[in-house]
This record gives sequence, C-alpha cells and structure tokens, in this order.
Amino acid sequence: MTAERPLCLQIAALGGQGGGVLTDWLTEAARHAGYPAQATSIPGVAQRTGATTYYFELYPEKDPPAPPLFSLFPDTDDLALMAALEPTEAGRALERGLITGRTTVITARDRIYSTDEKMKAGDGRVPAGRMMDALQASAAGLIALDVEDLARRSGGQGNAVLFGAIIGAGVLPLGPDDARDAIAAGGKAVDSNLAGFEAGLEAAKRGGDGPARDPDLVYDPVPDALAGELDGVPEALRPIVGHGLARLLDYQDAAYARHYRARLAPFLAADEGLAREVARRLAAWMAAEDVIRVAQLKTKPGRLARIRGELGIGPDEPLRVYDYLKPGAEEVAHVLPDPLAKAILATGLGRKGIGLRLPSAHPVGFGLLKLMAALRPLRRRSHGFGKEQAAIEQWLAAVTAAAAVDPALARDTAELAVWARGYGPVRQRGLDRLAGLFAHWDDRLKNNRDGLAGAVRKAITDAREDPDGDCRSG
Amino acid sequence: MDGGTPPNVGQMRRAKGMERSFAGQVRSLVLGDGETFHGETILAVTKALLQSGVAYVGGYPGAPVSHLMDVLADASDEILKPLGIHFEQAASEAGAAAMLGASIHYPLRGAVTWKSIVGTNVASDALSNLASAGVVGGALIVVGEDYGEGASVIQERTHAMAMKSSLPLIDPRYDMARVVDLTEAAFDLSEACNLPVVMSLRIRACHMTGSFQTKANRAPAHGINNPLPGASFDYGRIVLPPSIYAQEKAKVERRLPAAQAFIRDRGLNELMGEDRNRPQGIILQGGTYSVVIRALRRLGLADALGRSQIPLLVLNVIHPLVPDQITGFLEGKESVLVVEEGNPAFIENQVRALAQQAGLRTAVHGKDRLPPAGEYVAATVRQGIAAYLAHALPGADGQAVDAANGAIEAAGARSRDSLAGVPVPPRPPGFCTGCPERPVFTALKLIMAERGPLHISSDIGCNTFATLPPFNIGNTVLGYGLSLASGGAVGPALGQPVIAIMGDGGFWHNGLTTGAINAQWQGHDTVLIILENGYASATGQQHVPSSGSTPQGRPSVVSIEAALKGIGVRWIRRVDSYSVEATRTVIEEALDARGQGLRVIISDNECMLAKKRRGKNHQAKARRQGKPIRKSRFGVDESVCTGDHSCMRLSGCPSLSLRPATDPLKDGPTATVESTCVACALCGEAAHAARLCPSFYKAKGLANPAFWDRVKARVAQSVLSWMGAS
Repeated sequence: MTAERPLCLQIAALGGQGGGVLTDWLTEAARHAGYPAQATSIPGVAQRTGATTYYFELYPEKDPPAPPLFSLFPDTDDLALMAALEPTEAGRALERGLITGRTTVITARDRIYSTDEKMKAGDGRVPAGRMMDALQASAAGLIALDVEDLARRSGGQGNAVLFGAIIGAGVLPLGPDDARDAIAAGGKAVDSNLAGFEAGLEAAKRGGDGPARDPDLVYDPVPDALAGELDGVPEALRPIVGHGLARLLDYQDAAYARHYRARLAPFLAADEGLAREVARRLAAWMAAEDVIRVAQLKTKPGRLARIRGELGIGPDEPLRVYDYLKPGAEEVAHVLPDPLAKAILATGLGRKGIGLRLPSAHPVGFGLLKLMAALRPLRRRSHGFGKEQAAIEQWLAAVTAAAAVDPALARDTAELAVWARGYGPVRQRGLDRLAGLFAHWDDRLKNNRDGLAGAVRKAITDAREDPDGDCRSG
Repeated sequence: MDGGTPPNVGQMRRAKGMERSFAGQVRSLVLGDGETFHGETILAVTKALLQSGVAYVGGYPGAPVSHLMDVLADASDEILKPLGIHFEQAASEAGAAAMLGASIHYPLRGAVTWKSIVGTNVASDALSNLASAGVVGGALIVVGEDYGEGASVIQERTHAMAMKSSLPLIDPRYDMARVVDLTEAAFDLSEACNLPVVMSLRIRACHMTGSFQTKANRAPAHGINNPLPGASFDYGRIVLPPSIYAQEKAKVERRLPAAQAFIRDRGLNELMGEDRNRPQGIILQGGTYSVVIRALRRLGLADALGRSQIPLLVLNVIHPLVPDQITGFLEGKESVLVVEEGNPAFIENQVRALAQQAGLRTAVHGKDRLPPAGEYVAATVRQGIAAYLAHALPGADGQAVDAANGAIEAAGARSRDSLAGVPVPPRPPGFCTGCPERPVFTALKLIMAERGPLHISSDIGCNTFATLPPFNIGNTVLGYGLSLASGGAVGPALGQPVIAIMGDGGFWHNGLTTGAINAQWQGHDTVLIILENGYASATGQQHVPSSGSTPQGRPSVVSIEAALKGIGVRWIRRVDSYSVEATRTVIEEALDARGQGLRVIISDNECMLAKKRRGKNHQAKARRQGKPIRKSRFGVDESVCTGDHSCMRLSGCPSLSLRPATDPLKDGPTATVESTCVACALCGEAAHAARLCPSFYKAKGLANPAFWDRVKARVAQSVLSWMGAS
C-alpha cells in the first residue's frame, strides 16, 4: 500500500528573509529522516523587496516501490501546509485558492507594508485583521506567530523560527531531531539558528501567539491645573479633550489650552461624531509643529536613550545624532513678529533653505535646540502663529456654518483639517487647498450645497489617495 | 557600517568580487563515478557538462541560469584548469553564441548559457550563422526560460528561434537523473546531426532539488592542456554563396533527419502510461510532465508514483518532432490532447498536420482546452485536462473526471470568497534598502515636479524597477543597453532633451556601441545617466568589464569614463548617487546644456547588496576580536512626523515603513525606519532636497569602544544630562 499523495508545503517570504535557507533545511531534514522530497523556488530577482515563493513536497513513506512523482507547482486545494513570513503573503495564497480545509496555515503576524500601502497619505494599510479572519475561516488551522519577538528573544532569525513552527505544527512526519540535524548540517550560524528553531517549535506547539493588533491609542491625562476645563464635556469626549488640553499646555501654556476649550465649546452640544472630530483636529492643528515645537520635541527627555536603543549601544558608548533640518526664510519668518517676517519674505532670499545636519547629541547642537525651544513665549506674537490661527478660525467658521444646515457636511468639513499637515511646501499646499475651498463658503453653502459637499468629499479622498496631485503638473 | 559615505573608488575596486563563495557547490562538481549528487538542477546540468568532456564553457549571466557561470568562475583552479577547460563570461549573449564557433571546424565540445527569450534574441545573429555552418564538435546552449511567475522579460517562446534556425530543442522531463542523461545526450545529438542543440529549463526546474549518480569528469580530447594539431579552413563552412545554399539544403535533407533518427534510436522521447491502447492520449512537452501527471492524479487517473492510466507521449525533444513517433501514437486513438505551453502552438499544429498527412481521423485538441497564453501551472493544466477528458472519456469515467475537478474548483472558490474584497497588496521586486540607484530616481521625480514630465528611456536591470511605484519613471524599455538608442527619435519630436537611464551592465552589453557612439556620432541632444554600481546586480552581482576584475578574480582595468572620452564625449560628470541635491543639480545642468550633444552623468556607488555582504563579514570579524564596531542608521521622531508619507513617495525604501500611531491626534501611521536600515542617507537627503520635514535623523554609535572613547562618551553624557537631555 502506497501513500495516496505527497504532503505539499508552500513557503512565502520576501526577498532577504531567508526562505531559501529554510527550504534547504526542510530538504535536508527530509533526507535525514529518509523521506523522498523535492523543493523548488521562485526566488525573485536578486532584489530584496518582492514576494518570493518556495515550494516543497514530501512523500510520507520511506522507500516507496518507485520514485514518487513530485510537482513543481502547488495546485488548488492540495496544500497541507502554508507557511508565510508575512500575513498578506498568506493572503495571496488564499486569493489563489491554495489554502483550503486541508491546509494548516502558519504565518508571521506582523505586517511588512507594501509600497502601495506606504505611499498613501494617512492610513493606507490593508486591513490585516480581516485577512487573518479569512485565513482562519478557510484553513484547517491557523498558527499566527510573533516572529519578530520570537527571533529577538531567541537571538535567531525569522526563517529559523518559522522552521521550528513548521516542525511543531506536526503536519510533516519530520521530528525536531531531524530538523536540528539539518540546521547543524547547514553549518552556518548553527547556534543562533537552533535557538530560533526551538522558539518557533515551542510557539507552534502552544498554538501560536494569536493575531496582532494595533497598539491602543494612549490618551494623556488632563493636567491637574486644567481639570476644571472638562466640566460640561460629555463623558465620552473627555479622553480626547483632556489629551488636547495636555498637548496644548505642553505646546504653549495654560491660556492657550483654555483657548482650545473655548473654541471647542460651541461644538460640544452638537452630535458626538462632529464634536469628537473637531476636538481631535483642532488640538492637532493648534499644536502645529513650527521650528520652536520641533526643537522642543527633539530635546524631550528620553530621546537620546531611545536612539541608543535603536542603535543597540549602551549608555556609555559614544553616540552622535545628526538631525536633518532645513530652515529657510519661511521657517525663520514664521517665528518672527509680523512686520519683520514680511520684510524678510519680501526679499525673496533664502527661500530654498539651508540644509543642516545638526549634531544634536553634542552639547553645542543640543544647546542650540534648547535655545530655539525657549523661544516659546514669543510664539504668540509671531507671523506664522497668526497665519495658522486665521486659517483655524476660517475652518471653524466653515464647520459652524455647515452644521447649521447639514450635519453630514459639517462632519466632512471638520475632517478637511487633515490638509493642515506636514511642513514647508507640503503644509503650504494643504493650507492653499483649504483656503480655496473656504472661499465663498457661505454663498456656496446656500446656493450649491450638493456641489460643495462633493468638493469637500473629493478633497478628503485626495488627502489620502492623491496628496501630491496639485503639484504634479508643476 | 556606514552606507552614507561614498566608498573610495580605488578601495571599492580592490575589494570587489570577494562577497560570495560557492565552495559548497564546487565540491559537488568534482564527485566521481558512482557517487551521489544532491542539489539544484542547474548545478546538476553544470556537472553533466563536465561529465561530457566540454572543452569550453561560456555565457552571459541572467536568471535562472547565472548560477552555472557563478559556480564555474569560482571553480577555476579546482576544476577548469586541471581539465583544461576554457571558461569566459562573454560580453553579451551574442558573444557567447559566437564562442560556439569553436565547434564549427574542430571536434571541441562546448556549452554556453543565457536567459531566454531575451538572450536568445541577442544571440540570434550568431546562432543563425552557427546553425547554417554546422558544427563537428557537440555544441549545447542551456537557456533559462524566464517565463511565467517570477519572470522579468517579455513572454515569448524559444521554440520559434529553434524552428527557424533548425536547432534541436530539448525540453526535458524534470527528473534530475533524466535531465543529466539528456544533457549528455545533447552533445551526441549535436555531433550526430552537426547542429547546435538548445536545452530549455524553466525557472522552477532550474531551482528544483534532487539527486543522481555521478560519473567522473572527463577532460576534453583537445583543450588548453592538449592543443589541437592546427587551424583548419573549409569554404563549405563560410556563410557566403554558394555554401549558404548547400547549408540550407543540408539542414533539411541531412541534419534534421539525422537528428530525428538519433532522437528515435536513443529513446529521447518517452511513451508512458499503463494502458497504451486507450483511445485517448496526451502529447506533452517534457517540461510539463510533472504538472500533467499531478493533474491526472488529482482527477483520479494516476497514482502518487506517477503511473498514469492515460497514455502519454512525452516529448523531451520538442524540435524536431519525429513524424512516425507522433503518428504511431495517434494510430487507433479517437482523440489526443497536446499540452504545449506558450504560443504559437507549434507542436499542436504539427501534430494536426502529421495526422492529416497520415490520413488519421484522430481529433487533435490543445489550445481549445488549455489557455492560449500564460504559464501552465498546476491548476491551469488540471482544468485543461479535465475539460478534455470529461468529453473524451466515455460516460461515467468522463463524469467522474468532471466531478473531481468541480470539487477542487469549488474548494478554491470558497477560499477566494472568504477574503470578501480585502485587497492583497501587490509586492513586485524593487530597489533594495540602501540601493545606490534609488536616489537618482528621487532626484528625477523632484525635477519633474518642477519642470513637468520628461521622456525617460529606461533599460534592463535593476533600474527598470523605477517604472513601478513610487517613482513610475521610465517611459519605454526596449532591451538591454538600448535605452539611449530608444530615445533617439523621441527627442526631436518632443522638442526637449530626453534622458536615458542605463546600468553599467547595459552600457557594456550594448549601450556603448548602439547608444553612446551613435548618439555622439549623430549629435543627439540627449542626457545619458549611467548607474555604475560595479556589477550586473539584477542577476546576482556578476562582474562587468568595469568591476575591476574578471569573474575568476583576475584584475582588469576597463573604464566607462575612458571609453566615453575615447569616443569624444566631452560633457561627462561623476556624481555621488546618495547626494540627491548634487544629483538633481547635475541632471538639471545636463538638461540645460542644449546644443552640446551627448551629456553623460555617471552616478557612482557600489551595489549595496555586495557592499553589505562584505561589511557583514568585517563586522563579524571585529566582534570576534572584541574590537570597536561602528553602527549607524537613520531614524524618525514619531512625534514630529505628521503621517503625510511624502518621504515614502520619494523613496520606496523597504526599511522606511509605517508604525501605527498611539497618539490620538495623529492621522494614521507615522513613518519609521526599521532596523534593516543601512544608513545610506536617502531619507534624510530627500527630506532636505524636497524640504519635507525635520523628522529624520542619522545616529552613529560605537559599540565596544576603546577606553578613552568610553571616557569621552561619559563626559559628554554628563554634560548633556545637566542640560536636561537623557
């Protein structure tokens, strides 16, 4: 009696993740255990970004009467195991009909975002949670692994962790010792690969780590001095309003935070959706990052320690940090009083900016940043501050006017503040777009509300899908 | 390591070529009689060449066959010299094909390799002449068929080339021992019919693992260690009248019939199946054998050991066909299915013609059951065979096939439906982290944002990836080294200087003559940007003439700049590719230098994959010795990033990614630099050049510092913490 079919395994990885080495281990482990097997790959080109596919078949019977027939391609409803080092790559196999009720799926749960997702402004990410749900619904079993964490803790690489999980899933007739011998036979970084393997093996045996979730939003508590400002704020809005108050106190001072509360007051009676949108957007806009704010953020305690962590060096090992800053006439004018700012801008000099690599982990560079941050009290009288405040008022007026006649349009109008983002030319482009929309707002609201609503919706969509549209034509 | 500092060119040259080693593979090439080889097919084929007594091997690198050359270059001392085999990486596929000229007059066996269809196209001039002249020494061309998933070239068949030039074409069944046998037989076949023979291997087949019993390598009768007695002349081998007429006649009257006789007598094609007399059958290319058998198993007509209930004629040689073999198979059959990948359907049409000539009434199916275009993957072939057999098999047998196929398709459909519209993001290949080519396209994107669209002719190589998001730069791709030539007629019509992008590989392959010399000669108003990264990077960092050394490691001095000066180009600038600002400025200068003919910018920095590999070795050594290790990377201050992602639209760097924000005021995920960063500085440079934002920083550290460095770090740290930093 011969086995009816080989066990088929597809491995999906991205270039550079070590899918080839993993496949070599599998082939070696099968040989060690005495099972006929065959592997192949579409390794992609030499580049390190695209999807790569490895395919492996093992005949679950030692010494068959004739050599088994192996295929180089997976077929629909024929995979025993799908292993992916990225969840949407498992999703790709699902889309191709390769994952069905006979397939156990092992996947790294952390996303590696594609260029398409990254290019969108705001959040262009594929909903990975729904993809995990689809995998769960279709597959015989789903083992989602925190590969990154398992690799870090064990000191191994992701491919070794996945190898451990493949063996641990128990779908192939290969034991841990076959796998360990295969790693040893590979002869490269044997100790760390074995450590990664063991971590993956254990993780799969306990059923994986479950799907990943985005970290929760963290609301800063309202500062004690401003606690009273939450009086009259509906319970559901208190976290976001409190967060806004805290942010603006840090950004400027208590008076400025109170100004935020006062601006918000008329909207608190409106529907909660609108009030929340205004509360969030208004706080973000009022805390617009000017040179002073950037200097303040770059000198916050803990920053250098965080950078040391990223670099993997200890507290008494030399560190240099170079901040890429490019202040130009506009940035300088932004923090100067109005007449002076206008005079500088009128000269047309220095518009391209001066590219600095400020050594901010050096006492001199750090001191300079501290000095900039200390200009905070002067901000209120600056040219840029006035400009932003005027734009904010224009936006708030538009929202108010819309709210009186069309709640849905009011919410969309509140969301338009998404365009108040970025720095330099990016920010200017956004503010220009808003100014264009808000011109003759009341007239359009009265005479062509549908047209206006369409223009607002389009602006919101463009903010994500076509953020550079206005400048593309040059 | 610090990718941000451009390497000293001299140092870079000296160190190159030491990044990779194929020592493990070389060991399996020296196995002797009765030993067992384990490895990938392309290496097995390399071993088969050595077992066949080749006197010379050459080729041009290209996936999926570059490995053959990589390993042999590494095996120079251990294998090639003792056996007296001449090896060279030719300047192009045309050069590689021309190497086979050694077999026209002399009993020298030789093999060359390249990627098809593109390489075969480039080689076609030499191939036509070679096939016409004929060979006396066995000549084999191993082509990697870059077709289907993972392909990076136009989708065409090598078959057409084989037919027009009368080249026997082997498409072997993917069983490693069989592939090795057929490789050895190919030389005998070539000598039997005096034609060069092509063996075509698909991507997955090249990378297939397996084993076979080896034979000892054979030294060629004549070669470096035992020269030929002398040069020979035969006007019959020259491609001029009247020889050409005699050669054409010989091909059809003597050589192809000799090939057919050899194929039949040596049993190169195979008849399979348990019940040969069944009135149905399948004629298939050897390379589709395993998907056909797999399909039959899944439809209930074969077992896991490959025993088929349907008769099969497996064509391991798909050109020329052996007519009586085909008609013999058709006799007594109601119908057959021809499984033939790609188009046109040469085999199917020949089978139909042969059936008609023989007066057979057998119905010949093929592209009416299988798709006319596209790769024949498992599901495609299964559906085609099911469509054929559901009707061809009588009653219940046909219904059973239909039901089996229906159940499989239904399971697949349920899976697809479960996604319920969740998009799977496309993930094409792109520039690596730290790629020195990427910043050039950042600069071009910035220039176009200001000046409006420019016509940019793209080339073959990593640079072609710029046509993908986020750059979408490159209006045409016409072939390797042809970017400059392909812009020739565009510039005058557009009234603006056009830009051509070319890698150093493309420059030496074809770009110097077809592009640069012609543009200089014609006085084209055009800008050529040469991305000199030191390697043919897209196929795995093979050396190019300007790498500074040959694939075997012999130093050489061939320079792009010197070549350009030699043809009289005056406007040549070299620029550090990682400086976006400098690159932008120099491109703008070149665009504005109207009336100065060809302007060339050499964008200079080593391929990061190669550089990184070397850096890793250095670091590992430093770590073992307890020496200080420099570390550097970029970072983003999350609190400063506003989530607009302009930086990503100007970069596409794999290490520049998204991080879900925890601040409720953020509008989606912020940018983050992952630990895979190599500190090439592009993100910071782009932020500067486009005045994006102040989020980026470069961090440099020294792990395991010397005593004094540690003391100084402590002092600096104390001062900083007094100032409020931590």
